[in-house]
Amino acid sequence: MANNLYEITVYSENQVGLLSFIANTFTRRSINIESLRVFPSEIPGVHKFTIKSRTTEEQILQVVKQIEKKVDVHKAFYYVDDERHVREIEAVQALIDSRMEENR
Amino acid sequence: MSGADILLQSLIDQGIDTIFGYPGGSIMPVYDRLYDYGDRLRHILVRHEQGAIHAAQGYARAKHFPGAVIVTSGPGATNVITGIADAMIDSTPLVVITGQVGANLLGTDAFQETDVIGLTGPITKWNYQIRRPEDVAWAVARAFYIAKSGRPGPVVLDFAKNAQTGMAEYKKEQCSFIRSYDPYPEVKLADIAKAADMINASKRPLIVYGQGIILGNAEKELLSVIEKADIPAGSTLLGLSGIPSDCPNYLGMVGMHGNIAPNVMTQKCDLLIAVGMRFDDRVTGKTDEYAKQAKIIHIDIDAAEINKNVKVDLGIIGDAKTVLPRIEALLEKKDHSEWKKVAAKCREIEEEKVIGPECRPGKGYINMGEVVETVAEVTKDSAIIITDVGENQMIGARYSRYNQTRSMITSGGLGTMGFGLPAAIGAKIGAPERPVCLFVGDGGLQMTIQELGTIMQEHTGVKIVLLNNNWLGNVRLWQELFFNERYSFTRMLNPEYKLIADAYGISYKVVNRREDLRAAVEEMFADDKPYLLNVEVEEKGMVFPMVPPGKSVSEIMLNKKDWLEYGE
Repeated sequence: MANNLYEITVYSENQVGLLSFIANTFTRRSINIESLRVFPSEIPGVHKFTIKSRTTEEQILQVVKQIEKKVDVHKAFYYVDDERHVREIEAVQALIDSRMEENR
Repeated sequence: MSGADILLQSLIDQGIDTIFGYPGGSIMPVYDRLYDYGDRLRHILVRHEQGAIHAAQGYARAKHFPGAVIVTSGPGATNVITGIADAMIDSTPLVVITGQVGANLLGTDAFQETDVIGLTGPITKWNYQIRRPEDVAWAVARAFYIAKSGRPGPVVLDFAKNAQTGMAEYKKEQCSFIRSYDPYPEVKLADIAKAADMINASKRPLIVYGQGIILGNAEKELLSVIEKADIPAGSTLLGLSGIPSDCPNYLGMVGMHGNIAPNVMTQKCDLLIAVGMRFDDRVTGKTDEYAKQAKIIHIDIDAAEINKNVKVDLGIIGDAKTVLPRIEALLEKKDHSEWKKVAAKCREIEEEKVIGPECRPGKGYINMGEVVETVAEVTKDSAIIITDVGENQMIGARYSRYNQTRSMITSGGLGTMGFGLPAAIGAKIGAPERPVCLFVGDGGLQMTIQELGTIMQEHTGVKIVLLNNNWLGNVRLWQELFFNERYSFTRMLNPEYKLIADAYGISYKVVNRREDLRAAVEEMFADDKPYLLNVEVEEKGMVFPMVPPGKSVSEIMLNKKDWLEYGE
């Protein structure tokens, strides 16, 4: 399968240890991280990671699922290029809202 | 209350009455308070922290409730790493509390400081460092919720010493919601209907189930599906005892040393229904050839397992207990007797070529299979079977029979030698009303043999069956088959086990003649006291059938010379 430059975005709680967990998810599968950024997202209290990596879609799917499995992670996305953003923000906000609603 | 008190009170609030642990410097404030909780918390003092964590695993799996472990910082914490990794890969709910140096010393290379959060991150479902007494109740409640819910797993709470001694107000906490965590995903009705259609249309369906059935309390629900649609079913190693061995559609164990029928039928079915299992490589053999002719439905609570090792036609993310009855409601009654003839033929071959020679050889040294069968007969299949790892494990799994769930506890994914003895202690403490029988080799027993001290101190009625061949048997087997009989460092000079048993005050007998075996096993199970039965078995015993590494699951060795010839 062909290698592509992927951008992975992760929305999570601000939890100690998550950064190294997310980095490990790549290195464990021998996937190089080209760049990594962590910053507060537009949603209050929710942090955002963006990671760029060159790998296959099959690998990136596994990585995204393993990251999403972590308790403190809301959602992870991946893209081949720079599509996205507004759609993501809306999706995460909607997810949190619906879960809060269910729990009410 | 002090943070230490809040911890103990929170554990009690979560339903914990037993703790496996070992004290040390950074956890002393907790142990000091524990001294006054003797009426509410039973503390099992192990002989090594690895013993504590494996005992907690055995306890959790026998009792179906999280096991609790308390150890100190540094070496105490690193000594539980193996068990945490084992619990993670085998989905065992544990709450592990490690002491930690005071928050002001973190990062200074203080005495017995180690980065527990960093070390355990990849092998826990969740971990958290408690640095303030105010956080204790919250963290414990969250830890139990995470450990138990969804796909269970181990959780570590790293408890800084200043948070143990500091004071805070205690408020009872329960956790049943985390906004970033969805342990029981909603099942799509369309998927249920699609699964039912696929099963109804199938001429040769096969179920392969794993520990998800036991963890999800879905034993009855699975049996109903099996019975209604008349589907033959094979179990993974960890799924064993999920349905009773005498169920007519039960095919036995799948995988490398599994029974012939479920492996052959995997390659002949037109629909494979995988429930609560994760397509481990010991189950699938060569994945490129695994069930290629079949459509595959995979039901699992963990979304990350779908399409991970085996690509499937329909993935259903959900709890088996919820999913199975919904599918069953849409199933047609079926009669698959024609298809099940494959199983009958496979059983016949296995009986003649493998089981007969292993369990009824009539002459020569005692085989491991004879010992396991004798235990099954004497206990009337009622015991909780614990195994260590290696030949004892495969033979123990193959020849034990199960008449109730949660009767097989073994280290599956990690394959941890030394797991058996402490896990058996934990299982007996978790299910004191049941006989607990450990099958262990001479290698694995000596990895955690110090836990005989725990048995002595706690009077834990574990029945230890040492399958003693003076070799690291499973590695020796591979050396014989795949490494030109070059027995590199697998021969073991063993101690006089009688002296060891005597030293710990544990009843002991050695058996090396076939005619003495049954009486010895009967004597062992005559009471509920600890017992070490040393059976000197055939030194070069083998485990067959075997799907050699890299082969597809229907390429099966029946013995050293013969391969399965089933035909079309």
